[in-house]
Amino acid sequence: MISCLIVDDEPYAREALAELLEQQADIDIIGQCGNAVDAMQTINREQPDLVFLDIQMPRISGMELIAMLDPERMPRIVFVTAYDEFAIKAFDNHAFDYLLKPLDEQRLQQTLSKVRRDLTPQILTPVMPVHLEHLPCYSGNKLKIIAVNEVEYAFSDLTGVHIATAKEQVHTELTLKVLEEKTPLLRCHRQYLVAPSAIAEIEVLETGGEVTTHSEAKIPVSRRYLKVLKQAFGFN
Amino acid sequence: MALILALTQQMCLYMVIVYLVSKTPMFKLFAEASTRLPHKVYIYLVFSSFCIMATYFGEQAHGAIANTRAMGAVLGGLLGGPTTGLLVGLTGGIHRYSLGGFTDLSCAISTTLEGFSAGMMSYYLRKQGRSELVYHPFLVGLVTFYAEMMQMCIILLVARPFDDALALVRQIAPPMLMVNSIGAALFMSIIRDQKTMFDKLSSSFSTKALKIAERSVGLLSKGFNEKASTQVAKIVIEETAVGAVAITDREKLLAFIGIGADHHIPGTPISSKITMDAIHQNKVMFADGVETPYACSISSSCKLGSSLVIPLRADNEVIGTIKLYEPKNKLFLNINRTLGEGIARLLSNQILYGRFEQQQTMLTQAELKLLQAQVNPHFLFNALNTISAIVRRDPAQARQLLQQLSQFLRINLKRTTGVVTLGDELEHIDSYLAIERARFVDKLQVNIAIDSALYGMEMPAFTLQPIIENAVKHGTSHLLEQGIINVSAERDKRSVTLVVEDNAGLYQAKKTSDGLGMNLVHKRIQNQYGTRYGVNVSCEPDVYTRVTITLPYRND
Repeated sequence: MISCLIVDDEPYAREALAELLEQQADIDIIGQCGNAVDAMQTINREQPDLVFLDIQMPRISGMELIAMLDPERMPRIVFVTAYDEFAIKAFDNHAFDYLLKPLDEQRLQQTLSKVRRDLTPQILTPVMPVHLEHLPCYSGNKLKIIAVNEVEYAFSDLTGVHIATAKEQVHTELTLKVLEEKTPLLRCHRQYLVAPSAIAEIEVLETGGEVTTHSEAKIPVSRRYLKVLKQAFGFN
Repeated sequence: MALILALTQQMCLYMVIVYLVSKTPMFKLFAEASTRLPHKVYIYLVFSSFCIMATYFGEQAHGAIANTRAMGAVLGGLLGGPTTGLLVGLTGGIHRYSLGGFTDLSCAISTTLEGFSAGMMSYYLRKQGRSELVYHPFLVGLVTFYAEMMQMCIILLVARPFDDALALVRQIAPPMLMVNSIGAALFMSIIRDQKTMFDKLSSSFSTKALKIAERSVGLLSKGFNEKASTQVAKIVIEETAVGAVAITDREKLLAFIGIGADHHIPGTPISSKITMDAIHQNKVMFADGVETPYACSISSSCKLGSSLVIPLRADNEVIGTIKLYEPKNKLFLNINRTLGEGIARLLSNQILYGRFEQQQTMLTQAELKLLQAQVNPHFLFNALNTISAIVRRDPAQARQLLQQLSQFLRINLKRTTGVVTLGDELEHIDSYLAIERARFVDKLQVNIAIDSALYGMEMPAFTLQPIIENAVKHGTSHLLEQGIINVSAERDKRSVTLVVEDNAGLYQAKKTSDGLGMNLVHKRIQNQYGTRYGVNVSCEPDVYTRVTITLPYRND
């Protein structure tokens, strides 16, 4: 059985696809999501084999979503779009799977048989945004979209990954690795990333160092990353 | 007595010179109360030479010279001020001294003092803010009279032997006092008359030009055609009182008013060679009827005898002409010639402006067509997808949605760029929203609260719909929670304000794709109704984006 997730902000569009997929004996629809944030959570939790992903979605697009996923846990993606000239050109160039709306049953069959032969996720880097602008976060149960330039630092602990701005601290599904790769945040510790623009002071200690941010938060710096951090500011 | 005659003769010679100078541009230098240095130098040179000439042409009398030197010194002082006056007097005085005679010293002193005191007088008047009195002949005569009296006293005081001096003064005082005073007064009077005439002429010229400009403003900017040209021609003939006025384009007569209108019929092709020449050579053509004969090319009995043809230009290209005529029994006034060229420039500018405006409108219309043709493809395909999803479970709703989609497309494709009513616009919005509601189900809520009394008001087609589409496309469709769009209308005496507010607050002024639709709506409203109306956006990030459309309200 292939476990699959449908991500689209329009209910009828999800329904239409679900109807077609339900006719397939080997496809198991494990869920439907109406936005990218829900989708990321579900993907991380359920780890589906296959995701049908709409591109145009509120706040965080399908393309941004795949950039936010941990490359190690990336499922096979089939893009779904009504109209997006540039994306379609890119998909064709790289032989990525995509479906056009309204859905064509034959085309869906072709795509499914291709996926059944080989479920290995494709390398989607050419269509992913290089930098993330907005980060989906949770504060309690409330969903929040944080702009990257507001972030002071990020860290991980037993409960997950947290993002701190000057005003608040929120939880996110993004991994530190993704944040390090797709945002300007710099690694300063195994469990910490810091925004260079937020650094007010770097104090050198025996154990490594300590960064004080503009909002006076203290962040540990390990010896291993101290050099890199200093170099980022032009010190040797 | 003989001395009076001789001096008068001398004075007359000056007057003739002054009169001749007053006909040249140099005269302007006398008429201007300028304080600039070159001007002063000019005054100094002119009046010093007057003094020197006066000494040479003076009549020998008793070993002294009866002369009109005082005139030069006094006028130099009055027109040039104290310093210039002093220098003029000094120059004249030194020159007189060099000629010798028993009054040489006294004459040199007195001439210098004459120039200086006239200069002081002029300075005093200027300080009092009554500098126009400098040109008053009576005052000038009086100043000269006093100056000459002073000279006589100085001769009596300085020249020795006293008896000779006294005898001399007896003989020369009456003629010199009289001739110098009258001469200076006459001189100033000539200057004053010229000045007055010149002022009057230029003021009547500018009044005329301003009046024509004021009356004809905006007429030709609506289009260079027969109707507008006739109105302009009428204004020109009323203001200039020439015999006839004609306006042509490159091929035909657009308007003709005045003498000869019976056979110069608007709409007929241009027949006169002089007009063709003006168009082809891009040059002002003038047939004054004296040196260059003018003959009407249509009728031999035409009364018109002279003609001025001025090309109308737009972007350096001749697009027509304006022609002024005078009948055979009247001279073509120079002032009308200059005025004609001014009018042509004025009209050319107006035509150019009109063309520019027309192009702007055309551009806007073209942009609009483009916008219409670009029914947002994302919207269209998503709509089709929604319908195809609904078809299976609710064929009736699907059919209804197809209806609404066709209606939306039909209006979009068919609608002209003209004016529609608010009711029409709301209908179009209805079919648009029916689709969007189906796409987003309960994630989109649109409340339209507009008094049906306003449904009849007019607006350019595609005024409200693009704004609402923007609110969905760039606003609520990016919300994770429910999107709400409120549409309302407020009316006051003269205008109606339509307000479209969403709860997304995602408007960014810089985003060009965002602006195109809205900008276009704004531009079209301003083009049609003026700058008091248009589109305005305010945004509180993440809270709301509010777009207000202000339109004129006519209570009819």
